[in-house]
Amino acid sequence: MVFCSIEFLLYFLPAFFIFYALTPKRFKNVVLLAASLVFYALGEPRYLFLLLASVTVNHFVGRFLGAEPYYKDRYQGTGKYSTYLEWRKGVLLFAITGNVGILFLFKVAMRGEALPLGVSFYTFQILSYLFDVYQGIIPAERSLIKTAAYVTMFPQLISGPIVNYGEVSAAMSERRMSWQSVQNGLKLFTLGLVAKVLIADRVGILWNDVQVRGIESISTPLAWLGAIAYSFKIYFDFYGYSLMAMGLGGMMGFRFPENFRNPYMAVSVRDFYRRWHITLGRWFCNYIYIPLGGNRRGELCTARNLLIVWALTGLWHGGSGNFLLWGILLWVLIVIERQIKIFLDRHPIGGESIWKQMRLVPHLYVWAVIPFTWMCFAITDVRELSVYLGRMLGAVPQSAVQPNDWRAALHTYGGLLAVAFIASTPLIRRLYRRWRDSAFTNVILAALFWICVWRIMVEGDNPFLYFKF
Amino acid sequence: MRVGGSRLRRQRNRRKITKIEKCILWIRGLWEKIPPDRIYLTILLVFGVVCLTATGGWKYYLDPFREGMEMFVRDLPDQEEGPDERQGEYQTGTGESQRKETPARPSEESAKQDPGQDPERDPEQDPEETRSFSFDTVEDDYFADAVFIGDSRTVGMYEYGGLQDISAFYASTGLTVRKLFTAKIVEVPGERQKITVEEALSARQFAKIYYMIGINEMGTGTAESFLQDYAESVERIRQMQPDAIIYLQGIMQVTAERSAQGDYITNEGIAVRNEGIAELADNETIFYLDVNEAVCGEDGAMIADYTYDGVHLKAQYIPLWKDYLKSHAVVYDQ
Repeated sequence: MVFCSIEFLLYFLPAFFIFYALTPKRFKNVVLLAASLVFYALGEPRYLFLLLASVTVNHFVGRFLGAEPYYKDRYQGTGKYSTYLEWRKGVLLFAITGNVGILFLFKVAMRGEALPLGVSFYTFQILSYLFDVYQGIIPAERSLIKTAAYVTMFPQLISGPIVNYGEVSAAMSERRMSWQSVQNGLKLFTLGLVAKVLIADRVGILWNDVQVRGIESISTPLAWLGAIAYSFKIYFDFYGYSLMAMGLGGMMGFRFPENFRNPYMAVSVRDFYRRWHITLGRWFCNYIYIPLGGNRRGELCTARNLLIVWALTGLWHGGSGNFLLWGILLWVLIVIERQIKIFLDRHPIGGESIWKQMRLVPHLYVWAVIPFTWMCFAITDVRELSVYLGRMLGAVPQSAVQPNDWRAALHTYGGLLAVAFIASTPLIRRLYRRWRDSAFTNVILAALFWICVWRIMVEGDNPFLYFKF
Repeated sequence: MRVGGSRLRRQRNRRKITKIEKCILWIRGLWEKIPPDRIYLTILLVFGVVCLTATGGWKYYLDPFREGMEMFVRDLPDQEEGPDERQGEYQTGTGESQRKETPARPSEESAKQDPGQDPERDPEQDPEETRSFSFDTVEDDYFADAVFIGDSRTVGMYEYGGLQDISAFYASTGLTVRKLFTAKIVEVPGERQKITVEEALSARQFAKIYYMIGINEMGTGTAESFLQDYAESVERIRQMQPDAIIYLQGIMQVTAERSAQGDYITNEGIAVRNEGIAELADNETIFYLDVNEAVCGEDGAMIADYTYDGVHLKAQYIPLWKDYLKSHAVVYDQ
């Protein structure tokens, strides 16, 4: 099931929260777990078993890994302790191989066909749990219900954020659902719904339009408009989902980490990926980059580590070649940016002030480079990708091009793109913080919520379905 | 009388104002009664009731009940708008009989109104009277006195067919047979207001009319009702453009994948409609062009490589369609 569907908004959401609110405290985790499994099964009954098996096995792996203090207390210095330590390493390796293997199998070997819903997210969440337990950062969870509820929790099961267990372990045992938390959570959920339905799905139509026309035959400005439209679409889609997840979690009394921090306001590609899908970046940083040595073993090693991280990030998004290309492209940009920064730190040209005066330049750089890299992400066919990038760069077209095709697109979608741009700045967030509890905000948000529901009723899950020809 | 009347009005005004004020006070009173941590939830529920009532969204809650207890709730007002359209999807079983009737009916009507200009004569009835013709291949200038009428696919022809400065195009995305007469889509040079296709056709005479329409109607009505509307529209065009050759282009098929997607657009539905359209051709001044020959594979569906969404030709494949039209220009044999 997805959040922006009639089934979720009109049935699941109210039914779950009423039932959940009436449930006595000690059964709340059970209800959450059961509801999450129902939520998952309604979307993908086939892989429910895989999810359950994965959670159960990893729970016991976690308990074994977490028994280290116990063995240390009792058997330190004896052979039993060192045998345990060896077994511990082996079990961890086995668990990593198993979890990553399943993910790899579905992503790469099966080319992403029949991908179990949310497998990339829950696998990473499980791995983060195991690593944290192994390193002794958190104790292993004793209750299977709690581990299962943590992994399968429906707000974040399908598309993140990737929550570390340490962030919610306290709330797993003790959390408060109040009128206030429900109200604030619902508002956040509404904002996310608006981002998804009223912005992402709308600008997505422009991106669709460009492809319907045939990417061989679009003018260079239209190719850029299409890339910008896709950039907004993927951002508001994902950001909207993260906000909805935060809102739903907040309603129950969880605090999920923030996943996006105005990425399009970044001043470099490095900066962009510190603001984009933060919980995934954090995962790769904590569990791949830093264990490899991070940036402390010289520039060459840093570049190698970054390459590994970005190649894996590409693979995580999908098994086909274009995702690898996307990751490598970002790696190249990030390495160049690092070198430029190091150079400038050593040889300050005009001092700090000159860069502060040119504040717009880094933004323009990001706005030019990021849509370009997104195209590598969006177009899975490498031949088509090269055509599209060629059109963006103004290469000689292979087919007839209408030089003015972008005017009509700008005329139709200009307003929407402007709204999307404004929503990408911190403005809305600031306004929301300031006026969250005013009557005006309440009325506007409630109206927007139902406008979204109405749009979904009209269009179904797919905004292109009722598209006129 | 006058004085009394204005006083009455004043009183009425006064009462009106107080009513509104009362209403505002009442709402404010309610608002203040709601605890601040429940305000959003309350507004959301109130708006929800309004929204579900206005859009007929209650059906999402009622339908499951209705299905369960159909016997008891049969009296409830019928709110099924969506499913009705689905029913419009053409069923081949009943289609056979409908198809034969449909083109005949409008022709009967027209025969009553205007027996002299009946374009719907059955070609089988009077083969001798028909001027024989053949298809010839022509150059772009053939289209100089032509008009293309159609939906977004014809818009594609306008944008990428290279005929922008040669032919007239009365085409717009989402155009349907009925909208020909109501939607103001044709730009008039020097005028801000657009006019309908009908108005445009009565203002200017053409020698050739290329007509392709129908994909947008797939979701509403039946093939029968569509063909009836379609025949009427051809009739109207005939009346307004008595000297033009009318090319009825078959509705372009979609890809097999798009057809199997499970909504109202299916190649079977298109094929049935095209058969009906083909029967409207008298091969005298009205001709049927099966453009699908140019863009479809052996399975009768649009070739997948030619399109992104399964419905519209990509710009670079528009010439296939255009070349088909160029090689199918009617020449009368002397």
